Amino acid sequence: MTIQIQTIIPTYFTPASSEVWSKVFSLESGQKYLVKAASGSGKSSFFNFLYGLNNKFTGAIQFDGKDILSYTEPEWTQLRRKKISIVFQGLRLFPELTALENIQLKNQLTAHKTEAEILAYMKRLDVDQLAHKQAETLSYGQQQRVAIVRALCQPFELLLLDEPFSHIDDVQIANATSLILEEVSQRNATLVIASLGNSYNIDYTKTLLL
Amino acid sequence: MISDLLHKQIRFSQLLFFALTSSLGLGILLVVFQLFVDTQSLFGSSNDLLGNQTVIISKAIGKDNAFTEEEIETLKQQDFVKKVGSFTNGTYRVQGSVSLLGMGGMSTDMFLESVSDRFIDVQDENWKWSPESRRVPVIIPKNYIDLYNYGFAPGAGLPQINQKVISQIPIKLSLTGSSKRKMYDAYILATSEKINTILVPKSFLEYTNQVLSPDIEVKISRVIMEVTNPSDPKLLDFFEKNNYQYFQSELLSSRISYFLQLVLAIVLGIGILITALSITLVITNINLLILKNKQTICQLYFLGFSRKQIASVYHKISYKILGVSICIALILVVICKFIFAPFLTILQTESSAFSLIYVFIVAIVLFVVLALYYTKHTNKKIAQMTAVNTSLLTTEI
Repeated sequence: MTIQIQTIIPTYFTPASSEVWSKVFSLESGQKYLVKAASGSGKSSFFNFLYGLNNKFTGAIQFDGKDILSYTEPEWTQLRRKKISIVFQGLRLFPELTALENIQLKNQLTAHKTEAEILAYMKRLDVDQLAHKQAETLSYGQQQRVAIVRALCQPFELLLLDEPFSHIDDVQIANATSLILEEVSQRNATLVIASLGNSYNIDYTKTLLL
Repeated sequence: MISDLLHKQIRFSQLLFFALTSSLGLGILLVVFQLFVDTQSLFGSSNDLLGNQTVIISKAIGKDNAFTEEEIETLKQQDFVKKVGSFTNGTYRVQGSVSLLGMGGMSTDMFLESVSDRFIDVQDENWKWSPESRRVPVIIPKNYIDLYNYGFAPGAGLPQINQKVISQIPIKLSLTGSSKRKMYDAYILATSEKINTILVPKSFLEYTNQVLSPDIEVKISRVIMEVTNPSDPKLLDFFEKNNYQYFQSELLSSRISYFLQLVLAIVLGIGILITALSITLVITNINLLILKNKQTICQLYFLGFSRKQIASVYHKISYKILGVSICIALILVVICKFIFAPFLTILQTESSAFSLIYVFIVAIVLFVVLALYYTKHTNKKIAQMTAVNTSLLTTEI
């Protein structure tokens, strides 16, 4: 999926000049992008625009030439199931469900992975032993790893990661990035990571300063 | 799994409250509806006690006390009058004779009147006459039979008779008009508690008046009216002003009927009001159930669950509760029916199980209508909650 961004500006705050706002550029399939910015400059807003949660912007965003404002509610639901996956900055796990249930809830929409595959992913990020613990009892770093596994348990052409490793140690970051990069290249998907500064040793196609 | 997740926030006590408010409203509505159906026969024209609210008026006794066409027209135009019918009498002398087998016969001078069929409290397919008819049906006041049975018969050594026997007595009517005399065979078709005169079908009276006394003008002696409210002071004023006479007792039963109808209407009104309030409560309850899960619903939605999938969890809850409430309401209706039955019998109304069929139909219609309404409302609420740019979705900058 090619994403064309044409001079978008949020209407609810005035952003400083950047390589994202008011610029024309595109995000290509199979490429990796880093959106680097200080806190509060609009990284999550940019992700929310791309994920269809917020449309308070001027300019246009197109997925394969189609303006995203023209998507209907069922079309967005299908996009979120099959084409775009996200790890929110706030994670959005269900605290009352276990780690595994949180992942299964997402996975059941497309039945993309088997339980064994999910557990294997969890093992790679060292959270398999927490599979049956309630999400609210996990540390934020553990929750971040569960949210990453959840995001991988669906088909996608665009993977949005909003400060995904902020509470994870370097060893686990390395595990997570290798898993993510494997998945992304397998699917020839576009990867967009938002970060406050760290680039996590990933070879990006482009770094966009926000 | 989504259903389990959304149910985690829902308390049993909340569902119980939902079911109670819903049962209360539906129960009251169905009970009142059932009462309404059961008491309808009270107000039908065939009921002697509280039938149509009719008043019979006449003019003071005098030389010319017939109603003119203009007077009838004026009556029709009054807003408290629904329908007007007139009594016409035969313009000839009538002699009726009865011969009871083996008991000799008797004959008497009498009179015949007619009035529009819609004012008669007897419904019988034989209540008709044409010149080809063999016999003339006659309706007499019920108190004539009582006078005979309890006054005349014991003294004269004659047997008492009931309504069945009376219709088998052959009557000969000898009508002597200004130009002709004719004999007719007649029989008593029924007795009336409402109309205090000897009635023959209108077609018979018109025909005989024309044939026997073509030169005599037919006069309207009394007027019968269906009124909206017999206690209306305007009505009584009108009678007073025009010097019309009316029967107080007749007006009294009409007043009772009006009062009962008023009471029923008020009860139905209150029932509808309580039902409307309970529906509002149920809606508030649905809102509360949805609001409690606001965060979960939003998160499910932006994980890729459709609004339809999320709403269907709430639809199932409201259908189940609505179903249970309707069943409770129906049980209430059946219980109330047994409680009301003795009272309705006193009021001379036939309390049949038939009204329950109506109640069941109404219950099914209510279920469908309310289920559709709740579904629509839930869908709307969830759409509102998950609309783009809602605060919960866009808190992260």
